[in-house]
Amino acid sequence: MFNGFLNQIVQGILHGGLYAMFAVGLSLSVGVMRLINIAHGDFIVLASFVLFTLCTALGISPFLAMLIILPPAFVFGYLMQHVLLQKIVGSSNILPMILVTFGLSIIIENGLLIGYGPNPRKLLAGDLQIASLQLGGGVTVGLFPLITFGAAVALIFLLDLFLYRSRIGAKIRAVSDDVDAADLIGLSSKRIYAIAMGIVAMTIAISACFMGIRTNFDPSSGPTQLLTAFEVVVMGGLGSLWGTLFGGIMIGVAQAVGAQIDLAWEVLAGHLLFLLVLVVRPQGLLPKE
Amino acid sequence: MVVGDASGAGPQPLLSVRRLKVFHGKFEAVHGVDMDVGEGEIVSIIGANGAGKSSLMKAIIGQVDRVEGDIRFDGQSLAGRATADIVAGGIALIPEGRRLFPSLSVEENLALGWEVGRKGEITLDDVFELFPILRERRRQKARELSGGQQQMVAVGRAMLSNPRLLLCDEISLGLAPTIINDIYKVIPSIRERGIGIIVVDQDIGRSLAVADRFYCMLEGDFSLTGRPRETDRDTVMKHYFGL
Repeated sequence: MFNGFLNQIVQGILHGGLYAMFAVGLSLSVGVMRLINIAHGDFIVLASFVLFTLCTALGISPFLAMLIILPPAFVFGYLMQHVLLQKIVGSSNILPMILVTFGLSIIIENGLLIGYGPNPRKLLAGDLQIASLQLGGGVTVGLFPLITFGAAVALIFLLDLFLYRSRIGAKIRAVSDDVDAADLIGLSSKRIYAIAMGIVAMTIAISACFMGIRTNFDPSSGPTQLLTAFEVVVMGGLGSLWGTLFGGIMIGVAQAVGAQIDLAWEVLAGHLLFLLVLVVRPQGLLPKE
Repeated sequence: MVVGDASGAGPQPLLSVRRLKVFHGKFEAVHGVDMDVGEGEIVSIIGANGAGKSSLMKAIIGQVDRVEGDIRFDGQSLAGRATADIVAGGIALIPEGRRLFPSLSVEENLALGWEVGRKGEITLDDVFELFPILRERRRQKARELSGGQQQMVAVGRAMLSNPRLLLCDEISLGLAPTIINDIYKVIPSIRERGIGIIVVDQDIGRSLAVADRFYCMLEGDFSLTGRPRETDRDTVMKHYFGL
């Protein structure tokens, strides 16, 4: 009984890594640009379909496809911010932000539906998907969930390093601190925002790869990913990278515990924990300083 | 009104402002003023709250909704140029309220000045020489500093962008008198590098004491210009308050 419970907790922690990956880009968007991107989940799904197309057409592994699309993803994010999203950030009125990103969400979802149809797809990573490890104490973990968790930690570590040890990172934090002051001293917030969105798009491409291997996806999967990402970001603390990992783990564990009680409680348990944190600690569990 | 010989910027001033109007939305904050600043010259702009001093500074640095008239820096028009371009071209602003980035360290705040500015001879060591306390506090977050130390960082950040023209907007605001003295002591040493300086301050005494020339602003216009040593306090106060 205890071993089974422990096993579920470990599975929940590992699943939390995937949730943290979904959320880390959203956390950057909210933390740096105060951009609430309703289309975040749809962009993850869009990237999954791009990976699916590349893998199918070229017969390459999803990881290689992911490495191939990282540079174009940066350019895509940069241009999207420069051309479109820049017009809606920085205003105290969040309605344009919600309308524009909601519109993007609808366009992506319906575009994918026209292009690929409603059937679920999956990225294939061979034996990696079924390999498992015995950790002792009755705990068995899948190799891929373990790799996903490790990749999430590595991604957050690298982003943290980038933000706190690079010149561009310092500029991003400066704009995040006070965008008007940045513009006053000649630090163009427009350019910095575009770079930040380029990085967000890269995190989306990475999370799309791991999501596509781990679970089925179809054109309408976006809102589910968005909901999870939002909960993780709010639970972790807005703009806090390590808080995002912690939030992801909390949701993953809550779902695992919920499933132990009753399978119908799996998703609900995550939402209930989110509501509880929102009431008890609205600033999040590990808020940004 | 002009008191004494108000010319001083020379035939080819570093900054030349002509018939400048500044608008915030539909509101006209500055009504067609003329102003010159020469290389290595300190020009003071005094005036009460809402006189239009900060609007004038923001217009020069390219941070207002709309301007009419002409602003030329080193003979080149600044019309339509982005702030980043203006700063890279050699104008730096010490903003009102210091406007440091609180989560960045002292060193990171200072480095931003170097990153955005004109590449020149002023280095981090020069700033630490002017403000030795900042060398000790270089790893501290800006939000952990006192108001005076924050102002030193703001001055240092602007200097590190190696400006040819430095705009100081309300540099004494909210600071203790001893700290204000320390900040004002640094201004002549900046001028010695050939940098033109505009000092905007409500502290009339200190501001005029350090200036070669001054402009007094009243309700968006210059009510008095001249040299501080060729006028008296009563005349200045009369034009300051519009009496």
